Amino acid sequence: MWSRSSDGRRIAAITVIGTAIVLPLVVFVLGPNMPPGKATEVAKGQVTDNTVLLVVMTPFTVFILGYLVYAIVVFRAPKGETELRDGASMRGHMPSQIAWLVTTTAAVLFLAIFGTTELLANNGAGSGSGPNPVAKPSGAMLPVQVIGQQWEFTYRYPTYGGVETAELVLPAGQEVAFHVTSLDVVHSFWAYELGVKADANPGVDNVAYVKPTKIGTFQIRCAELCGLWHGYMFDTGRVVGAADFNTWIAAQRKQFAGVEKYLPKYSPSYSPDPTFRAG
Amino acid sequence: MSELAHHSTDYSVVESESPQVMARNLRVASQLWASATVFFFFAFLFAYFYLRSLNSQHLWHPHTVKAPVGLGTVITACVVVSALAGWYAARRLEAGDERSWRSAGIAALALGLAAVVLQIVEFWTIGFGPTEGGFASVFLGWTGLYILFVLGTMYWLETLLATSFRYRGAGAAGHEPGEASGDPGRTGDDIDRPISLVRPGAGAFAFYWAVLAVIGVATWLILYLL
Amino acid sequence: MSLRRLIGFNLLSAVVLGVAGFYAGWWLGHQITGPSIAYFSATNQNDIALFVAYLVGVVGFLVGLGFANYPVQRLLGKPPTLREKEQQGAARYFGLCTDHKVVGIQYLLGIGAFIFIGGLNAMLIRFELMRPTHLVWNGNNYLTLVGVHGTMMMGMMTSGILGPFANYFVPLMIGARRMAFPRIEALTFWLLMAAGTILMTTFAFGGFPTGWTGYAPLNEQANMGMDAYIAFFALVGLSMTLLGLNMLATVITMRAPGMTWGRLPIFVWATVSTSVLMLLAAPVLISALLMLTMDRAAQTSFFNDQAGGSSYLYENLFWFFGHPEVYILALPGMGILLEILPVFSRKPLWGYRLAVTGMLGIGLMSFLVWQHHLFVSGINADVRPFYMLSTEIISLPTGFIFICALGTLWKGRIRATVPMLFSLAWLFNFLIGGLSGVFLSDVPSDVTTHGSFFSMAHFHYTIMGGLLFAFFAGIYYWVPKMTGYNFNERLGKWHFWIMFLAFNSTFGPLLVIGFLGMPRRVVTYAGYLQGANDWVSVSAFVLGASMLIFLANLIWSQVFARVPTGVNPWGSKSIEWQLPSPVPVHNFDRIPTFGSDPYPYGEDAGSMLAQRPVVSPARPTP
Ligand SMILES: [Cu+2]
Repeated sequence: MWSRSSDGRRIAAITVIGTAIVLPLVVFVLGPNMPPGKATEVAKGQVTDNTVLLVVMTPFTVFILGYLVYAIVVFRAPKGETELRDGASMRGHMPSQIAWLVTTTAAVLFLAIFGTTELLANNGAGSGSGPNPVAKPSGAMLPVQVIGQQWEFTYRYPTYGGVETAELVLPAGQEVAFHVTSLDVVHSFWAYELGVKADANPGVDNVAYVKPTKIGTFQIRCAELCGLWHGYMFDTGRVVGAADFNTWIAAQRKQFAGVEKYLPKYSPSYSPDPTFRAG
Repeated sequence: MSELAHHSTDYSVVESESPQVMARNLRVASQLWASATVFFFFAFLFAYFYLRSLNSQHLWHPHTVKAPVGLGTVITACVVVSALAGWYAARRLEAGDERSWRSAGIAALALGLAAVVLQIVEFWTIGFGPTEGGFASVFLGWTGLYILFVLGTMYWLETLLATSFRYRGAGAAGHEPGEASGDPGRTGDDIDRPISLVRPGAGAFAFYWAVLAVIGVATWLILYLL
Repeated sequence: MSLRRLIGFNLLSAVVLGVAGFYAGWWLGHQITGPSIAYFSATNQNDIALFVAYLVGVVGFLVGLGFANYPVQRLLGKPPTLREKEQQGAARYFGLCTDHKVVGIQYLLGIGAFIFIGGLNAMLIRFELMRPTHLVWNGNNYLTLVGVHGTMMMGMMTSGILGPFANYFVPLMIGARRMAFPRIEALTFWLLMAAGTILMTTFAFGGFPTGWTGYAPLNEQANMGMDAYIAFFALVGLSMTLLGLNMLATVITMRAPGMTWGRLPIFVWATVSTSVLMLLAAPVLISALLMLTMDRAAQTSFFNDQAGGSSYLYENLFWFFGHPEVYILALPGMGILLEILPVFSRKPLWGYRLAVTGMLGIGLMSFLVWQHHLFVSGINADVRPFYMLSTEIISLPTGFIFICALGTLWKGRIRATVPMLFSLAWLFNFLIGGLSGVFLSDVPSDVTTHGSFFSMAHFHYTIMGGLLFAFFAGIYYWVPKMTGYNFNERLGKWHFWIMFLAFNSTFGPLLVIGFLGMPRRVVTYAGYLQGANDWVSVSAFVLGASMLIFLANLIWSQVFARVPTGVNPWGSKSIEWQLPSPVPVHNFDRIPTFGSDPYPYGEDAGSMLAQRPVVSPARPTP
């Protein structure tokens, strides 16, 4: 019934033609504009990922929407028909059920395998991957600790004497390992353009890798509700050239030299005195 | 008007439900309630192993925190023996031996309440407080809530025994309409023989109480022995 | 004069005893803690007193309604009775009533009122977001509005469809005269009313800053308003557990002859699957909240990493409940959808077994996906591929529901009634919701979308676009049966079109705003997003206004116009539409015998009732 009827052929045609029209738009117009942009390797990976998801969804979306519109237009009971007349008694159609099952299963398995590959190939794809991520980049890394507290982020550079800064500055072309932790409640370090998001949990060292490639600024927001001034917990970071970075960090070390002795020694996480009901 | 029903504001038809249906309801409900209980304590089981494996700030289990094994064993034994007595009592009632049901039921009730009292004694004498680390938290939370479940189940047993005693020897004889429900305004009652519900009630109770006892043994193994 | 006559056991005595109990508990709590209060907190808080106050208040409320009468009678060995009171008329709706049809209507009105409050909060939130910086609400009030909106909706909508429609129609659909446990049925409703009232008291205690997820350790740091959240959600959890238990017991034991599992209306199957989730997931929520209560009131350290606990524990337990929770919200909507589509396509439900498999599959799978809420949290990062796979697999049974819906439309004779419009809109909205969910299920994409307006818009598409549209489909479809009066169809269509367009105009852009980098629950945002946010706010106000059209329709058609429904205006073959409107108190003169499922459209039999003589298993009326 399904496949032999002219209705079935028309819906198949709508799906195929619709997909043929929409797919290039998705790949060439929408895809390149998907978030979060191309400022880092992982961000580029995420754009690709988002595009692939859109591509996989397109035929299903076109089919379902095309079918819905077609059904509403064509299978509508004639206007003014007052007597209730039943449609044909059809309680199922095994071939189309199996076809649907096979197609959706294939899509789902593809998505899961693709997502896993992307996750591992991109060293966690910018996500907070716990204290000991399985996939890590090879080669030298600049460790940067991100400390969330109510209601600001501060940053420590352990390879530069553990200097603590209020601003996040990264050298371009250098693989960075963010070590995200919190002093009080759960925050989430979200560097939008970098394609990085990692929860800041008290007592936990949450690691995310990223390699900024484009010089410029990026926005940082707290993405986990953390109390009163959560909405004001934002910041702007900078990606600069290697030489600029060295100048900047040297200046920071000089500026904060006096403060350094009051800071706790650098550690993957900190345990402040239990201050219950602070604030 | 429909052929299936006519307009009526009379509740009397609704009330005439057969005891068999109520018995089935009770049995099913006891199984469902048991599965909900298992999931309830599953959260504490998860908390135990999760916090133990994390051991944050090395404060999972300071050496000063010692679970009182002796008292804990006695409490668990009370629960287990009570569950066995409850099981036996229900079997006897099934066999029509109401006298044994009542005596075994009272024994089960006494043992269950003894477990509650002993748990309170344990809390009174325990020697550590809720602030002393992860284990102390899980221990106090788990045992405290467990004993509340025990108390609730003992209430259930008490209602069965109380009905059984009130209608002891009543046989098939009915009772004054409205009197039994405690509502003088009532003119009728849905249950002719309240005693007919005690039997399925006892079966359902025995099942649930056995499940709760198994949870109790698991609690004992994990909190006192592990 | 007996106690019963003296107190009366109605809503008035319940409120009086509830309030009195609250203050008694408050006083008692202060007696317990006494001068040691300084130990518990630096500021002037007494969580113990507030918890005790809520507890005694709820107990007083239930006693006032008459819920204590039965347990006390049983304690004395007196026999069970189905009735607490034999009232007639409107008074039944304002007290403990064990008639499942009365409870259904109580749910509709009671839950409706709280959902309306939740919706008002959303309007206030959207008002604040008309400016990128502070506009009217200070940080604390804004977060409390966000928290109350989310918590109220999540708590009340769990029973939003099962409460009114399953309570009313499941017994009818399976041919029973009542639920398995009518008193528990009434209890689930009044627990929710107590819970909703408690949540509103959070404003008196400083609100709570955590949103509906209530993450630790912010929830331990928060002031006393947090206790209202805990009490609310624990009571909702209890109500859900009991509702699930009651529904399952009813469907298992109370089915009429001929109503086999293979003939259950699909809405009943959705109820079964939802009830399993409620029965098993809600206890975990209650456990987690009791741990939190102990942390706040007795200084245990379940969620405090400074003293041997972990905030991860809360996140795991919460989402172990929280993910089944979102399917508790979604499944009943699927049930209503698949129940309504056959009626207005005049075709049997296409792929009945597939639909049932889908619903049970969703229920089962929903216990295996919870860590997808924690992809960037650092919890067990190595097992993320598993949760990615399981999350994507759960779209398969959801796909079954879609293909069954599409198959039912196939060559049907579709009539665009108001309930049908809402059902078709469900398909569109839930499609968007499902597709946006794919981005959240994929870890690399989730890095951008997690915790952003994207994820917020996603779950509004599934919950509001799914559940709430199905809720309205159910209202327009079934309320005429419940009250006996038709809705005004023209107003219904206005309501539908404005709601549908405004809904998509609100949440569609929010998906984009999330993609552009705006986090959830913030009171400020980047300036370049103001245009989009203003658009969304205006759309949201229109969406809110569409609810007023519905209210006008409800009041006009049910109170003033009162056009009688008749027995079966939709021409449905389901059994509830063979009964008078409204359904008489005893439901059936005799228990019916079923010969098919409720979808024999275009088939010879034409009726779901068996053609052989009807035999009643019930005891004959004395
Ligand atoms: Cu924050």
